[in-house]
Amino acid sequence: MATLDLTRSDARGPARVSRSPWRVTRSVWFAMFMREAISRTMADRMGWFWMIFEPLAIIGVMVSVRGLFMSGRHIAGADYVAWMVVGLMGFTLFRENMMRSVGAVEANRGLFAYRQVKPIDPVLVRCFLEGMLKTLIFLLFIGVGSLLKFELIPDYPLGVVFDWLSLWALGWGFGLTLSVCADLVPEIAKVVRILQLPLLLLSGVIFPVLYVPHEYREYLLLNPIVHGLESIRLSFFDGYHTIGGISETYLWFWALGSISLGLLLHARFRDKLKAH
Amino acid sequence: MIEIRNLYKRYHNHHGSQWVLKDINLTIPSGVSVGLLGRNGAGKSTLLRLIGGMDSPDRGAIVRESRVSWPIGLAGGFQGSMTGRQNVKFVARIHGADEEIDKIVDEVEAFAEIGEAFDEPVKTYSSGMRSRLAFGLSLAFDFDVYLSDEATAVGDRAFKAKAKEAFKDRVGRASLIMVSHGEGVLREFCEAGIVLDRGQARWYDRIDDAINAYHEATDSPKTPPLKVPSSLTEAKQTLRQANRRFEQAKLAYQIASDDPARNDPDDRLRWQMEDARERMHEARRYVQEFQSAKAQSA
Repeated sequence: MATLDLTRSDARGPARVSRSPWRVTRSVWFAMFMREAISRTMADRMGWFWMIFEPLAIIGVMVSVRGLFMSGRHIAGADYVAWMVVGLMGFTLFRENMMRSVGAVEANRGLFAYRQVKPIDPVLVRCFLEGMLKTLIFLLFIGVGSLLKFELIPDYPLGVVFDWLSLWALGWGFGLTLSVCADLVPEIAKVVRILQLPLLLLSGVIFPVLYVPHEYREYLLLNPIVHGLESIRLSFFDGYHTIGGISETYLWFWALGSISLGLLLHARFRDKLKAH
Repeated sequence: MIEIRNLYKRYHNHHGSQWVLKDINLTIPSGVSVGLLGRNGAGKSTLLRLIGGMDSPDRGAIVRESRVSWPIGLAGGFQGSMTGRQNVKFVARIHGADEEIDKIVDEVEAFAEIGEAFDEPVKTYSSGMRSRLAFGLSLAFDFDVYLSDEATAVGDRAFKAKAKEAFKDRVGRASLIMVSHGEGVLREFCEAGIVLDRGQARWYDRIDDAINAYHEATDSPKTPPLKVPSSLTEAKQTLRQANRRFEQAKLAYQIASDDPARNDPDDRLRWQMEDARERMHEARRYVQEFQSAKAQSA
């Protein structure tokens, strides 16, 4: 039986040309990416369908709810459907990054048998994959939405790209941090799952933050997702008007802070996560 | 060569944590196949995982100056929801096989001989099929040292012969470190042995010596297995005998531990005492069984 010559791939001996750590990591990421991409899109019979239909259904429900209960109220400077699509897409980008990461370590435990695979790898790969998928779907919504005459062409495309990346970064940060916490303390995963819905309401995805009374706005502004969503809407709609104090810098403090914390936790608890 | 220096390992749990491995110092020369022996829970698999780099020691170090495989066994290594083919591809990619990937997949498929199941999720496999796949997969890479955790214990005769053949092909180039309770397998594959007990490891240059030492340590000559009693009186007699034997063993152990010049690295007397204690408990259970049976019939 012919074999793969490992002299250039997994050599650890001094006499051999060994793969650099970076090359090993890249191979692992590529392998994991292929694996995750297949199981995410193909394993489920209707994988692709749900990925597109789910946000569509939420938007449909929200638009009809608004027609019933909130008639007469307008979003200043933006079409409601477009406003909703942008907010929901931005929020799901963050939420999916966070939620997919929470189960990532557990789901790939079998693969830690190979010492090349570290617990952080599945988290990073899932965040990357999730961001790619969400970006693709967002572009699809923008494309199809525009054809249907919704005002979904961004007024400041570069700004939108930057804000989208900010929300993604925030998702990475929370994903990295929570993946460790939820694996060490399983209850945290449950709490995070419960907190999803309140977070959706508190982030101004469905109800415009302008409706929030003045005295509560400073508390609302503690939530970094609000900053991300309002920023991306401001970039999307030229005439959009929102509450004061929206700051991308604040969002990036959170994003970079949580990414650092997540990386530290992964470095600190690597063996514990593996051994569990 | 694999060098193990001052290795300590323990697992933390809710009720304290004892050292599973305590100050282990070993050098496993290249080209020598080694069998790991020990009771259940003696730390065989832990040591194997440490050598394979799956786990890291609490103290000490392991220096690997050769290419070491992952521990080939039944537990872990495969993702249950993926098919055999996808798993093989994944492992090949991790190991940096970019162009050879199709070749490796074909080889593993041919070696494992699991037919259509190769494209079914691994979680549907039987343990025999899993070990076929695991063995085939590990042989597709050219390691210096293969780690095997009871992987050869399953599989039918034909496959065992094939695996042996494939492995014998590599003698001189590769060696094996294996955990197994099958003495035949150990004698067949290994030259040297390591016996693990109470956190300590002892190296034997010949596997037969290791097996003998393991036997001597586990079943002591003074406490033969109990005869299964057939009546209450017989059971009571057995219990009296077991009690007496335990007292003797305890006395011998106490005398020995008072002796400052005692040289007993294996602590055999203590084991004999523990064994005698177990026999005594066993005999007591028999008596109780007969008594309760009598009470029920009365």
